[in-house]
Amino acid sequence: MSSSNKQMDALVAKGYEHGFVTDIETDVIPPGLNEDVIRFISARKNEPEWVLEYRLKAYRHWLTMTPPHWSSVHYPAIDFQAISYFAAPTKKPQLDSLDQVDPELLRTYEKLGIPLEEQKALSGVAVDAVFDSVSVATTFRQNLADAGVIFCSISEAAQEHPDLLREYLGSVVPHTDNFYAALNAAVFTDGTFVYIPKGVRCPMELSTYFRINAQNTGQFERTLIVAEEGSHVSYLEGCTAPQRDENQLHAAVVELIAMQDAQIKYSTVQNWYPGDEQGRGGIYNFVTKRGDCRGARSKISWTQVETGSAITWKYPSCLLRGDDSVGEFYSVAVTKGRQQADTGTKMIHIGRNTTSTVVSKGISAGGGQQAYRGLVRMSQRAENARNHTQCDSLLIGDRCAAHTFPYIEVKNPTAKVEHEATTSKIGEDQLFYCRSRGLSEENAVSLIVNGFCKEIFNELPMEFAVEAQKLLAISLEGAVG
Amino acid sequence: MSSSEQMATDLQQVLQQGRHRMTPGLSGPQWLSPVRARGAAAVATMSLPDRKQEAWRYSSLGFLDRVSYQPLVEGPFDAILPGDVEDLLLQDSDAVRLVFVNGYLATALTPAVRCCDGATVTNLTAEMGEVPEAVRTQLDAIAEHRHVFAALNSALMSDGALIHVARGVSSAPPIEILHISVGLDEPGIAHPRHLIVLEEGARAEVIERYCAMGDGSYFNNALIEVALGAGSELVHERVQEESPNAQHLSDLHVRLEAGSRYRLVQATLGGAWSRTDVRVTFEGEGAQAELDGLMLARDQQLNDVHLSVHHKVPHCTSHETFKGILDGKGRVVFDGHIVVARDAQKTDAVLANDNLMLSREAEVDAKPQLEIYADDVKCSHGTTVGELDANMLFYLRSRGISEVQAKQMLCQGFAEEILQKIDHPALRARASGLLAARLMESV
Repeated sequence: MSSSNKQMDALVAKGYEHGFVTDIETDVIPPGLNEDVIRFISARKNEPEWVLEYRLKAYRHWLTMTPPHWSSVHYPAIDFQAISYFAAPTKKPQLDSLDQVDPELLRTYEKLGIPLEEQKALSGVAVDAVFDSVSVATTFRQNLADAGVIFCSISEAAQEHPDLLREYLGSVVPHTDNFYAALNAAVFTDGTFVYIPKGVRCPMELSTYFRINAQNTGQFERTLIVAEEGSHVSYLEGCTAPQRDENQLHAAVVELIAMQDAQIKYSTVQNWYPGDEQGRGGIYNFVTKRGDCRGARSKISWTQVETGSAITWKYPSCLLRGDDSVGEFYSVAVTKGRQQADTGTKMIHIGRNTTSTVVSKGISAGGGQQAYRGLVRMSQRAENARNHTQCDSLLIGDRCAAHTFPYIEVKNPTAKVEHEATTSKIGEDQLFYCRSRGLSEENAVSLIVNGFCKEIFNELPMEFAVEAQKLLAISLEGAVG
Repeated sequence: MSSSEQMATDLQQVLQQGRHRMTPGLSGPQWLSPVRARGAAAVATMSLPDRKQEAWRYSSLGFLDRVSYQPLVEGPFDAILPGDVEDLLLQDSDAVRLVFVNGYLATALTPAVRCCDGATVTNLTAEMGEVPEAVRTQLDAIAEHRHVFAALNSALMSDGALIHVARGVSSAPPIEILHISVGLDEPGIAHPRHLIVLEEGARAEVIERYCAMGDGSYFNNALIEVALGAGSELVHERVQEESPNAQHLSDLHVRLEAGSRYRLVQATLGGAWSRTDVRVTFEGEGAQAELDGLMLARDQQLNDVHLSVHHKVPHCTSHETFKGILDGKGRVVFDGHIVVARDAQKTDAVLANDNLMLSREAEVDAKPQLEIYADDVKCSHGTTVGELDANMLFYLRSRGISEVQAKQMLCQGFAEEILQKIDHPALRARASGLLAARLMESV
């Protein structure tokens, strides 16, 4: 079919729009990993003794582990001794106002279309921008502080809220959880800590822009969100990265804890550098994300739009421990060129009357490889638990692939589990219908693809929904010509 | 030595003892030797599956720790007379019957086989007649040694049916392969091996049954190969009613040429541990496969079905429906894997798995998978797990039907979709009867 060939060619030819490198002096330690490196990181960050102990414990455990090979993604073996584990902008600004931030850095954000001032002024979103590994700008601190919300980097939390950090760090994703989580626990450089006190509804959407910059530095971010009883928070995470030839490993850990009646909404738009048309370069996005619904009637909702990275490998999960707790997972993943994605979710139902909803939409174009891998487990105690899972894949071009690997484990007869999956391409009849009503082929395909993803975009906060739609349009531009 | 190493050693012993006890007469004709050698070589390189392997994640082989199986040799089974197995036979059946006792052909129980012209029914050891060349070349050509048990079967295969239907011939009476297992003092392991070859445009109906005399402990390690020529059609009906203390492993390999049709319907009802691996490969365009199954797991039973359907060429259709009924501490494992190769366009694949849980201790582990490398395909899968619908129960009870009866009716209704697909009336009646009796004990 000529149109699909054209689509594919255009897709493959499409360069990465955010591929530029900001020249800021970075303070990088030589590549390699040993206990001294960990001590260096800890010392540089002026961490309390227990954090260092935690890191070393994780490192010693990591040494006993081997990289996992069970997924459907393929990549050359990673040399962990060739990675530099610490990179911090040397000019750490004083954070009184945005004016003091390195102007070069601000220009970077402007190129990405996310000027901090504008965000501050117009959208009311507080942004904790992470530039490589150290927070360089934190806004809206005062507004949040007035509400009692703690929103700071993990490093600051280690200084200012050590008790809270000590109580919750690693309580959802233990340092023994998996290979990359153990590595992260050993070398995490920075990240975000959010604490919402009892009964507080966070006055604004919290947002962090992650950006990987220096060559050969892995990013090991650590995010911890604790929502106390009856509180509510919505957290946005968005990513882009500059063009590089060497693969960069990103092994983050995200932990969410929701107490009784608390709600956490975690949204991600990920658009890291996917590599060139030969599959060179690109980010390895190996992330462990897990939410713990500890209290009754708590709710954790994951929404993700994944268009970037050479390899996306993550399963944002929910442990539904509290009775009547709710877990949700909404995902759109786009793979094109040589991109690979192995993503999905785990819903572990432990409490009674727990419900979970999984909606996963995969779009595979060109030579993109994609897999949904998910687990729904109904434990013996999960009386009247409910799950509905829907996985749909849309294939564009005859060189792409879409896989579905769901695991369903049920140990309670009152639990109801439903799983559905479909794989299809854009129907000739759908296209014909749109075209017969005067839409160009490009508009018709765009309409159909947007309709395919609508359920997910509806879950995103307003500002993000717009960005996500734009991202999808850019990603598939040319694919639909 | 770890327990898995211990088991691997035991396995080697089984192999050694099996070979040792197999006198030349028992090991069958010369042409089997290369197949046995290949199998034995494979056993030497393989280890026992463990739960870290994806395909064995949910099927523990823990029983191998407790039981040491002895290879079965042709024994005093000639003493079993038709009268002894009367209640295991199909009533009013028109099928041609081959009876295997503990893996060996029981001549006393196998009436002279009379098939139509063009259809050959014989056995591996050729007691029933010459084995056609077309059949010999197919043996072990379809199966893959995906686990050590398949390799062990090739190395030690005791006996089995060889069915060949010539080009364009429609084999009139159905052919029934009946396995009867008799528990011995020392639990034994049998390796039945069957091969069904249908030439171009041929048609046949094959019934495969596994029964037991008494409730002894034994291990049936069966391997079945099916080769379907262009435009041929096979109806394959399998009912497994092993002893409640038995282990049953069936490895079924099917190869379809262009335009052929394969219809499998199976009911796995017995055994303490039962696993069926079905591998269907589409080698020619326009072929169709329809696979249906009913799984019953009660008490401590494990009932495992693994499907692997490979769409290697365009324009093929595969439809799978598997249903599980669970009670007591029963466990059902369902793993359905559909692969659509690059360029296998216009593939139509539908996989459905529904499970009904009647007890609080039961467990279902389902893994319906799609692996798709072509874009112009229609593929879907669906899985449900739930209990009996309270509204339906209420409806029946409000009409004066007792709770027990109502539950039974609903379960049978659930199973009926599968059982109805059994063409052979006597077999259908037997499967329905068995299910009803077992449900009666349950609910």
